Amino acid sequence: MVPVIFSEEYLRYDLGESHPFSPVRLEMLVDLLREWDSSFAPLRPRLASRQEVLSVHAERYVRRVEAASRGEEVADLADYGLSTGDTPVFAGMDEAARWLVGGALTAAEVVARGQSKVVLQLGGGLHHAQFDRASGFCVYNDLAVAIRYLLQQGVRVLYLDIDVHHGDGVQWLFYDEPRVLTLSLHESGRYLFPGSGGVTEIGQGQGVGYSWNWPLEPFTAGESYFAGLRLLYRKALEWFSPEVVLVQAGADAHYLDPLADLMLTSKTYRRVFAEILTGASRAGAAAIFTLGGGYSLDAAVRVWALLYHSLSGVEPPRQLPAAWLSRWRERSGKQLGPLLCDPDEAPPRVERKAVIERLNQANAERLLATVGKYLKP
Amino acid sequence: MLVRDVMHQPVITIGPEASLKDADLLMWEQGVRHLPVVEDGRLLGILTDRDLRTATSELSPLPLSPQATVREVMTAPVLTADPQDPVEDAARLMRERKIGSLPVVEGKELKGIITGIDLLDALVALTGANLPSGRIEVRLANKPGELARLAQFFAAHGVNIHSVLTYPETTGVVRNVLRVDSLETRPLAEELRKKGFEVLWPPEKPWSR
Repeated sequence: MVPVIFSEEYLRYDLGESHPFSPVRLEMLVDLLREWDSSFAPLRPRLASRQEVLSVHAERYVRRVEAASRGEEVADLADYGLSTGDTPVFAGMDEAARWLVGGALTAAEVVARGQSKVVLQLGGGLHHAQFDRASGFCVYNDLAVAIRYLLQQGVRVLYLDIDVHHGDGVQWLFYDEPRVLTLSLHESGRYLFPGSGGVTEIGQGQGVGYSWNWPLEPFTAGESYFAGLRLLYRKALEWFSPEVVLVQAGADAHYLDPLADLMLTSKTYRRVFAEILTGASRAGAAAIFTLGGGYSLDAAVRVWALLYHSLSGVEPPRQLPAAWLSRWRERSGKQLGPLLCDPDEAPPRVERKAVIERLNQANAERLLATVGKYLKP
Repeated sequence: MLVRDVMHQPVITIGPEASLKDADLLMWEQGVRHLPVVEDGRLLGILTDRDLRTATSELSPLPLSPQATVREVMTAPVLTADPQDPVEDAARLMRERKIGSLPVVEGKELKGIITGIDLLDALVALTGANLPSGRIEVRLANKPGELARLAQFFAAHGVNIHSVLTYPETTGVVRNVLRVDSLETRPLAEELRKKGFEVLWPPEKPWSR
């Protein structure tokens, strides 16, 4: 059985009633996994220390998160990306964020100790958090802290980010680090937050060639996405030979997502998860999965339930449990379909399909041509 | 944005009596294509890598030797900009005269140089995402108060505007491209539509939930 890491403490990372990064998503997901399997017993993470957070964040920033967390008035929070529309402050946010960091660290420890080749951290994935700045719902960069820990263990890390937004925080934190290859697939920054993640961002100094970005056209559909993912992921494994693949498995590239514009379905996600797993296993690398963005309660929970089944190697059930459905339809007030996977007729057709596919393919080729100069054996 | 905000300084310069060979070496060493020619602190002219290559090329009817002086080849008098000029004035002059750079002069003193590359940098800064931000495009009527109404909307939502690019489309309407400090551009766009704004990006996505 694949180790799953989760604690109720994760639910404390709550940016407010109507905020899209809602802990309800996690609650629904865990409740669903329990409904399917009453013996579902995730591994408890540990709380990350201040020192561990400081392995990637500036002390002056952490000090401000702590003060805001205690409810103190701090004049310059906005200079640190805090107390903004996207990332408001809340009581206890320092500790809540450190629980997510602790979860990522626990996952990394499980893998580093050789206890499992695959592990699922059921939460976190706060990839926008920067050295001295909160950004896009993210306070502490749990992924970067886990990578820093793995580097200290002498492990080379392929960071694969399938969240629909560019994994800018992780990229900038390791921009000059040749022992970490960051590969981010995202809707083009020309249209979507955070704006970075162009093919020409390839790293600097010793790290030139180790930042890979595949910006996708709005309304990119599953086939184009999967073809590029497979091409780039396999090249990354071949040219970089990582020992660990850390996957930020945001679910917001799904066509139902209310904040972005890609058109992935549950079918694409299943292929993506299977490809990531077999690729890592063939390369002899361990795989750590975290969650991430995903703002349609309906779609995100189903995508992550599929992720859970892919990792466990168990064929997922077709139906969602009736008891769970009625419970959550009532609590969330959302329409929730009865099936785990998307219906066959989904999603809506897109007119510019051929142009979108051509542009995506050209960008994937440009990316490989550029980084290939530095990495190709 | 003023010329002084985007110009380069200090400037790599050369004297009028230097040889073309020296000028060529200096351009290679410093990685520049334009050398203002200066004598006693006074700007005499400008020498470009193209001037240099044309003058010494075998294809030229009267090729000069590498020992010829800069004075023989330089362009003079030279077009200049003032540090206080708006960048767009410098850009217009460079475009009209089809030249690659302008020495920046305050009184008689050479203060800097502005090249086509600096103007591209300015364009990237004006249109790009230097800070994490999302894109919203809104079409507004070309009349007083419209942009203010849009700005007030973002102020009311506590959303910071990083940059605004506005350009006239057809008569009567102006397209505004904003980069705003938010991941939630879609919900913001929905709100804008409810308030009667014509939002061009992000487009509607009725199936999302």
